[in-house]
Amino acid sequence: MSSTIFYRWKSQREPSRILFDGTGLTVFDLKREIIQENKLGDGVDFQLRIYNPDTDEEYDEDQTVIARSSSIIARRSPAAVKINMGGGSTSNRTPHKMIGNAARYVTGRPRVFNTTSKRP
Amino acid sequence: MSSQLSNTSFKFVALGAGNEVGRSCHILSYKGKTIMLDAGVHPAYQGMASLPFYDDYDLSTVDILLISHFHLDHAASLPYVMQRTNFKGRVFMTHPTKAIYRWLLRDFVRVTSIGENSILDKDDNLYTDEDLVESFDRIETIDFHSTVEANGIKFTAFHAGHVLGAAMFQIEIAGLKVLFTGDYSRELDRHLNSAEVPPLPSDVLIVESTFGTATHEPRLNREKKLTQIIHSTVAKGGRVLMPVFALGRAQELMLILEEYWTQHAEELASNQVPIYYASDLARKCMNVFQTYVNMMNDDIRKKFRDSQTNPFIFKHISYLKNLDEFQDFGPSVMLASPGMLQSGISRDLLEKWCPEEKNLVLITGYSVEGTMAKYIMLEPDTIPSVNNPDLTIPRRCQVEEISFAAHVDFQENLEFIEKINATNIILVHGESNPMGRLKSALLSNFASLKGTPEEVHVYNPRNSVDVVLEYKGVKVAKALGN
Ligand SMILES: [Zn+2]
Ligand SMILES: [Zn+2]
Repeated sequence: MSSTIFYRWKSQREPSRILFDGTGLTVFDLKREIIQENKLGDGVDFQLRIYNPDTDEEYDEDQTVIARSSSIIARRSPAAVKINMGGGSTSNRTPHKMIGNAARYVTGRPRVFNTTSKRP
Repeated sequence: MSSQLSNTSFKFVALGAGNEVGRSCHILSYKGKTIMLDAGVHPAYQGMASLPFYDDYDLSTVDILLISHFHLDHAASLPYVMQRTNFKGRVFMTHPTKAIYRWLLRDFVRVTSIGENSILDKDDNLYTDEDLVESFDRIETIDFHSTVEANGIKFTAFHAGHVLGAAMFQIEIAGLKVLFTGDYSRELDRHLNSAEVPPLPSDVLIVESTFGTATHEPRLNREKKLTQIIHSTVAKGGRVLMPVFALGRAQELMLILEEYWTQHAEELASNQVPIYYASDLARKCMNVFQTYVNMMNDDIRKKFRDSQTNPFIFKHISYLKNLDEFQDFGPSVMLASPGMLQSGISRDLLEKWCPEEKNLVLITGYSVEGTMAKYIMLEPDTIPSVNNPDLTIPRRCQVEEISFAAHVDFQENLEFIEKINATNIILVHGESNPMGRLKSALLSNFASLKGTPEEVHVYNPRNSVDVVLEYKGVKVAKALGN
């Protein structure tokens, strides 16, 4: 555990950190680590986005590598929901499905260079 | 991120309690003023996951934060907001809310830090005891019915009838009046008055929708059902577990049980069938209930005056600090927290008692989706043990739900909404389906106003989705109309 990436929740004052071995983490693995570190659950009802603190640009590619010692901003939001308005339904149910959430970071297989003791 | 709003736009966003019950938190902005309502946690989640979506709003822009009542789903993330975020605003709550909040959150910090400290990091808490102490003194208290002006925003607290100290807030920003009900009840019960209708009209109403279009059975029937099912269970030698939130409705239930035990002293009293309340917290807060007896209804005030004793100190109910001092020999009635059986004393008792057919779990509060209280009502064959996830426990006990949750039902809500007479109604604090049904029912109720200047609009926004209302010139028309 020689490397560190600092992340600060958008609404928080102080940063937190992720410890790991290696020269960097992919966005995928970093998000996965943040979700586990904060015990955010199965990822179904929220989405996690991370940003470059200097440019405010989102890191939206899972493969992008964040170098060790970097700082990022993390943002937890409700899962994006697609409401099905069609069909002239008179039912009062709100048929919707989650179209953007963080579930794949939880269910996805960890990368090989990540710590290997993860549960499936 | 969002486009520049015009100066006359009123903006509402729910960071929590949008199409859900739990983590109440709403933000209003109008003419450069920003007001936050409530800072709760979600009872079905823990840690960060239980928080409102604070990352979706720049909390440094909030001028004032009003807390409606002490329940965890409305107040428990306040220390987090004040200590861990860039929030810089002023915080207000009523005197009794603050008095109980102090005890409640100390307990919350303790319970969550014990419940969570598995093999993982020690620092699983949203905040520490120190955060609680440091932020506590910065909370300002307000009286009911007196208008406070802070940062150019005026607001007044009215009784919400939900728990001791629960407030509705009527907020006025540059002439625009907004009413936030918080959790409210229009029923006169054994200790609280029903919610008040503020004397001045409101333009926007933010109203709870917990029970959607459901109808409560009359109070008397429910009391009768409750006491009968308890009596018949203990008469057969069974144990009754009543999971309750430590403060609020528990006191109401105890008043009912105390009266029934007094009336049936021969069979039940003198420790034949003991009633316990396993809550050290409730015991500590008894003097708060005594202090604020003047905020309760005439009936309980009269009792207090006549007997000169605290009506919340009971003859037939004993407090238990924990289960170590509980001798489980025969039939008994146990009120225990937490109210949704997530963990702690009520959960321990559930796991102990649920294999036996003659025992009863009696749910009286509102059970949030995703909690054990909600699950047990499906009468599953087994339940998971909270301390040992690999272990399942057979469930053969009876499960009953008789609601004493102090939330309005459809008829009560509709009558209140009609009295408030706002043209924009924003529904919060309800699961999606009941909330959706309420929206449809309201729209059809107000259908005749469609196309007129009094047309009623109803919104049921999801979390982090803005509702924007234009209030240019509308004020004048409304003032004339009234
Ligand atoms: Zn409440
Ligand atoms: Zn509530």
